[in-house]
Amino acid sequence: MGALMAIIYGGLALMPIFVGGTDHLMHILIMILIWGVVASCWDLIMGFAGIFSFGQVAFFVIGAYASAIVANKFGIPPIFAIFVAGGITAAIGVLVGLPCLRLKGAYVALVTFAVHMILEPFLKGPMGRAIGTGGSRGILTIQPIEIFGFAFTPDHKVAVFYLTLVLAILCSIIILMVIRSFWGTAFLALKDSEDFSASLGVSAFKYKLAVFALTSFLTGMVGGFYGHYVGMLSTRMLGIDLFVTLMIMLVIGGIGHFPGAILGAIVTVTLNEMLSPLGSYRPLILGGLVVVLVLFLPDGVIGLVRRFFNGKSKIQEADA
Amino acid sequence: MKKLVSLILTITVAGMLAIPAIAAETIKVGVPLAMTGAYTDTGDNYWKGIKIAIDEINASGGLLGKQLEAVRFDTQEFAPERVMQGADYLCGNVKVDSVHAGWAGWGQDVRAYGKYTAPFFADDGSQSAVDVFDQDPVKYSNIFQLTDTDVNQASSMFRVLLALPYEYPNKKVVIINADDAWGTGVGDTLEEKFKAEGWKVALHEEVPYGTREWGPILTRIRKIKPAIIHLEIVSAQEVITFFRQFMEAPTKSILSYGYSIVPREVVQTMGKEADGIIGEVPTAMPTPTAPTPEAQAWVDNFAKIWKHQPQAGSWAAYSGVMAWAAAVKAVGDEKDHAAVCKYISTNGYKGETGWWKWDKSNVMRAGGDVPIGHYQVQNGELVTIFTDPPAKPYMNFKFQVPRWCK
Repeated sequence: MGALMAIIYGGLALMPIFVGGTDHLMHILIMILIWGVVASCWDLIMGFAGIFSFGQVAFFVIGAYASAIVANKFGIPPIFAIFVAGGITAAIGVLVGLPCLRLKGAYVALVTFAVHMILEPFLKGPMGRAIGTGGSRGILTIQPIEIFGFAFTPDHKVAVFYLTLVLAILCSIIILMVIRSFWGTAFLALKDSEDFSASLGVSAFKYKLAVFALTSFLTGMVGGFYGHYVGMLSTRMLGIDLFVTLMIMLVIGGIGHFPGAILGAIVTVTLNEMLSPLGSYRPLILGGLVVVLVLFLPDGVIGLVRRFFNGKSKIQEADA
Repeated sequence: MKKLVSLILTITVAGMLAIPAIAAETIKVGVPLAMTGAYTDTGDNYWKGIKIAIDEINASGGLLGKQLEAVRFDTQEFAPERVMQGADYLCGNVKVDSVHAGWAGWGQDVRAYGKYTAPFFADDGSQSAVDVFDQDPVKYSNIFQLTDTDVNQASSMFRVLLALPYEYPNKKVVIINADDAWGTGVGDTLEEKFKAEGWKVALHEEVPYGTREWGPILTRIRKIKPAIIHLEIVSAQEVITFFRQFMEAPTKSILSYGYSIVPREVVQTMGKEADGIIGEVPTAMPTPTAPTPEAQAWVDNFAKIWKHQPQAGSWAAYSGVMAWAAAVKAVGDEKDHAAVCKYISTNGYKGETGWWKWDKSNVMRAGGDVPIGHYQVQNGELVTIFTDPPAKPYMNFKFQVPRWCK
């Protein structure tokens, strides 16, 4: 897990050497890192903890708006604002998680998706406008993250890329540590049999709330980072396109197979870009690809990678 | 001798290889439009105009002797990072010499394309886009808006609604608009204008794209019995379903669709069923009879190519390409973006209906030779009944009282 993650991020870290001068490609790499974290968080809550949360995009958008508003209205430097945004999103995540504790399966999906559905009218409506969301027009001016006087604006894509890389690695390490810790075991136990794990003293209340808090914190923080990078926000992010794309990342990467979601982000974003000139055929081909992958690679790309390495090690063992 | 032969061969081969390279030299034109998602209909309208312009220029020998090559980019649903990606791809990577968009991000596009130099033409119709421009007119001097703002367009709709030769049975209006920047801009302005004129805004609803079930809203409308219902949601299925459900038990209300009349699918799907609905198009090419012979030739050509009357945005987008091409010709170098932009903002462009002049915010304000057109569906097609400003009837085309109001 850790080695594969190191290879993926190591490979990505080298990319600016080849494409550092091409803003368009650097932007794609930055978005791969951002979506990689969001998809990994979704994978943690859905793939590992078995909670069918459909609120991940909503948490991302909440984080983005929270950070922008906190920075714009209260003058908090963006580098701190993204952590504040993470905290706000985590608090909302816990609030959403509370009713979900009494629900299972599709009902959790319904409640969490309701957050997604409610968010858009809230941000566009009078309450949203009152807190500074800009209503339907969105927020068109968001200051960039500044560290020691250097502004990480879209004009400095390589610098932004490495800052995003640091953030993505930190988030991924946290996710990895959680999966490998007692928490991760508890998540899996609750996913496999909640009653049995409860009889062993695993508290569903504690761990389910914890996973809601953690994944929404990380997602909100990355959302905040996104807002300061792009410099503008609108509720367009709540369109079904991003939601579906993130889900495709999970399926392609392999649900419940960290760091598959990061691989899924790389494959999906790249494919999406390559298919972009095909217009209306893009979603069609992408959808077809998902069907094929689900049928032939149920564990996603990561399953293929693992099979390849396991096969190799078996051959090496046989040779020995 | 051997050396000479090999030299000749080398030169010949190099020459042969160079010929296609020279012949293939093109000017790249960026076209970021919605090719998928909720805005595909409008994206298609813009593309039809842009394609005609590019084909015309290429057929007449190209621009400065070079052929134009369109590079398309799917802006999908204008998520901020997608708008930025379009700018980085087209201007930063492909290095196009002009960009021709339609709806493009309502201000996000100004920031994204403003950091490059290539002339950028958009049809945002949005005050927020103009506000961004006004923050730094020098930096954003390459941004040109092909239509007037939402506020001014809504004011025009209001003026024409009150100028219709029709006696309203009461002073009650219902406004339904999409919950996007365009919809709220128009809806809020209309509400303000109607209230100032002493009308009662009996209902003002914001609805999301994708609304197809209008029962609850129509129940309230049937109780209110408004004189005017204004619907502003630029997507065919929404406005078609509204009309059909409204017609199950219609009230005697003028149905004003504003800019929602523009997706081609509206009149194409409903045909004569839609007769009576009114709507508006900024930077309009009046149809079915155009105001000048040149404009009529353009309308006929459009209809010949696409087999239907021009829709909103087609002519505006076409004119954007032509205005840029005229400026490039005058400057003599498509790469001198600053000079091309300066030429456009200083000299404007002489189009089929007359002169296009951009204001100090590089906005094509309504009026003069390029007014806002107000249409009514008559006999299954869009017929211009008014132009504005100033609000005046267009030629001999008359407003017809809708059948459900009689």
